Amino acid sequence: MDSFSSPSSGSPPKLSTDDIMTQLRTQLEQAYAEEFLETVRGKCFDKCITKPGSSLSGSESSCISRCIDRYMEATGIIGKALFNQRH
Amino acid sequence: MDPSSMNSPELQNLLAPYDSWILGKLLDAGGKVATSVKLYLTSVIEYFQQEKQKAMISEMISKLTSACWDKCITGSPGSKFSSSEANCLTNCAQRYMDMSLIIMKRLQQ
Repeated sequence: MDSFSSPSSGSPPKLSTDDIMTQLRTQLEQAYAEEFLETVRGKCFDKCITKPGSSLSGSESSCISRCIDRYMEATGIIGKALFNQRH
Repeated sequence: MDPSSMNSPELQNLLAPYDSWILGKLLDAGGKVATSVKLYLTSVIEYFQQEKQKAMISEMISKLTSACWDKCITGSPGSKFSSSEANCLTNCAQRYMDMSLIIMKRLQQ
């Protein structure tokens, strides 16, 4: 097992830093998606399900749908407002 | 980390695939390896710092959206925002930043 005398091979071993960076990015994205879902669930439950019945009514369903759209729109508005600010 | 743990079997197993590759590179390239390794590590560190920065910004947007939604969207969500709701959200974010600046300045006095 004399690895000193053999010429170097061209490619590094399997686990690369690129893999680690990609994994990090993926896990961060997943964490944000989960956090976002949890927030939307809370907000839209508060707004739309004021008196829970024995099933979801049509108005509750459409409220939830609008709520999700508006919350995503609000996220965009806040993001823009933060980076368009001129002091 | 005490020096004796450098010889632990776990660590050796983890590093083993890299040993002959690294050794080969060092023997081939001599001094050039040190510089290129430094450059590579620098770019990796920069990458992580950028990701950390992005994560902090995402976190702030998330918290602000939640707080400003509570302040500005008082009724049931409609099929679009009224202009007063949209303006409120924008104002909310910007006034928060103004407030942050004031707090920072005050704490520096």
